[in-house]
Amino acid sequence: MIDIEPLRFAWTPGAANTLVLGRLQVAQGQTVFLHGPSGCGKSTLLGLLAGVLLPDQGRVALLGQDWGALKPGQRDAFRADHVGVIFQQFNLLPYLSVLDNVTLPCRFSSMRRQRCQAAGGPEAVAQNWLRRMDLPQALWTRRADALSVGQQQRVAAARALMGQPELILADEPTSALDAALRQDFMGWLLQAARDAGSTLVCVSHDEQQAVRFDVQWALPTLQKVGVSA
Amino acid sequence: MGFAYFAKSGGERMKTLLGIARRSAWNRRSTLVWVVVSLALATALLWTLERLRHDTRSSFSQSVSGVDLIVGARSSPVQLMLFSVFHIGSVPQGMSMDSVRMLAQHRSVSWVVPLSLGDSHRGFPVLGTTPAFFQHFKYGDKQALVLRQGAVFADTLDGLYEAVIGAEVARKMGYNLGQSITLSHGLNAHDHGDESHDDHADKPFKVVGILAPTGTPVDRTVHVSLQALEALHLDWVAGTPLPGGQIPADQARKFNLEPEEITAALVGLKTRAAVFNVQRFVNFHEAEALMGVMPGVALGELWSVLGVGENALLAVSGLVALVSVVSLMAVVLAGLNERRRELAVLRAVGAGPRHVLGLLTLEGIWVTCAGVLLGVLMAQSGMALATPWLQQALGIRLQMAAPLPTQLALAVAVLLAGLLASLAPAWRAYRLSLADGLSPRV
Repeated sequence: MIDIEPLRFAWTPGAANTLVLGRLQVAQGQTVFLHGPSGCGKSTLLGLLAGVLLPDQGRVALLGQDWGALKPGQRDAFRADHVGVIFQQFNLLPYLSVLDNVTLPCRFSSMRRQRCQAAGGPEAVAQNWLRRMDLPQALWTRRADALSVGQQQRVAAARALMGQPELILADEPTSALDAALRQDFMGWLLQAARDAGSTLVCVSHDEQQAVRFDVQWALPTLQKVGVSA
Repeated sequence: MGFAYFAKSGGERMKTLLGIARRSAWNRRSTLVWVVVSLALATALLWTLERLRHDTRSSFSQSVSGVDLIVGARSSPVQLMLFSVFHIGSVPQGMSMDSVRMLAQHRSVSWVVPLSLGDSHRGFPVLGTTPAFFQHFKYGDKQALVLRQGAVFADTLDGLYEAVIGAEVARKMGYNLGQSITLSHGLNAHDHGDESHDDHADKPFKVVGILAPTGTPVDRTVHVSLQALEALHLDWVAGTPLPGGQIPADQARKFNLEPEEITAALVGLKTRAAVFNVQRFVNFHEAEALMGVMPGVALGELWSVLGVGENALLAVSGLVALVSVVSLMAVVLAGLNERRRELAVLRAVGAGPRHVLGLLTLEGIWVTCAGVLLGVLMAQSGMALATPWLQQALGIRLQMAAPLPTQLALAVAVLLAGLLASLAPAWRAYRLSLADGLSPRV
């Protein structure tokens, strides 16, 4: 479902830290562990997968759709429908409640809203994912900034899962958590992604977690080397 | 996919964005309040200054109306105007009553009111004139003087020591009808505070009339008859009391009290069209060197001097507006870094850069509108509260009428500048959200 044809991307033309990739493919439902030293372009690759960045050469396709073939507005709509995102931290709008944060994707994507509708409505689906993330029910109606960092990351994961997008991108989602929590969080996230049938691409420095994923990508070794997963 | 999808859910997204804009703004209310207040202050300042500028000018240019010519000894028109209307400065010479009588006989002249200046009461100028003054002197939009209490001094020997005082004299000194006051020699005898300097203490006056406030120099003036001034100076020669020759107040009535010389004369014409004709008649008068000044022309000349200050005021208020708009921009830009995460979250859940641009622009619009509206309200209510004080203390009549076109133009200018100032950061956020990729690189 992810299809990368040999590509080249530079933040500024001719810059030294140019990302060069060979052919890469990921099948639907696979979980990918993406690691590598800082600054090697992991976040850039996520940006390319999400279609917020476009390669200078080559192409990135999601569900057979080339990001580069879409107009900016269409890319935003396509992303809203098919991609869920979890950041390192600051995932939530602090002034909304936990539940309102989780249902946000349904407000921007009618496709994800319809899928939630089929499963009992956005509220019910959100509550379900929050429960799956082991977030105490007492917190659901609290303002998002009243939660601890670990709790906020779980809310962000629940939000990314809303409407079962085909692709979930997680950019170091556990780096702000302590070791014990990391283990739990990764477990919940992996299980939820598998249950939702979503492909998960997770950037992490925590190589202990790597074995729990279907595929491990070390970005430096990926450069120019084609991989099929 | 694509645009068809957009059209279907555009309303839902707009509603969501509006809700988010509202709650995001509420979340940052402590900052935004200051942005609104700073804009409001700038607007209020500009709004008030413009009204003050306008009303000061019109108060000033309407210090005297209904008078076609001011006639006095030849000097400069502004000097004659300043002395005869504002009682400031001096004129080198007076004019003879013969000239006044001759002027009154001119076929185009309707009335002549003689004015005589030179004495004061506790810093307030004393104007010697005739009861006709209260009938013919007009101010503002041809408004006549109104007596708040009492009556005009009588034009008889019985009413010789009677005075009509302006509103400010009455208020500041706390005078009522029947108050006995004494005058002192010279216009510049400022607030002595005690009566020992009142060189005309031997001939006290009784307050018989108090005028309503006008916002003109009349408010600060003590009006007495020409004959009274003559009586005061019977025992004076060349500006000093005649040694050993005091004439008691009652005795003075036996003398000829018709003045031979006055300071200036206000002239009203039968038709305004004759004004140049009469002016020429005065200017070429052979018996003495006189001149006729049209009040409007002299006031205009005077204002062109004061206008420098007016322009400085305008420049300062412009600068104030500029500073507050720039600070608005600085506040919004400084807040932008914090908001980049918020915008990235919105992008991550499916909002496009255009939604981000819309969100920030929306906020800029209502913050600016709120600021300008609040400023106008503050200015209007402030002026409503200050009007009585301004009228009394500065003699400026603020008009609580409809806003001036220039005031509205200034408000619109602040509005536009505020919008531009908030659009610049919105545009930057839009560019950043395009360049940041998924997560902001902060």
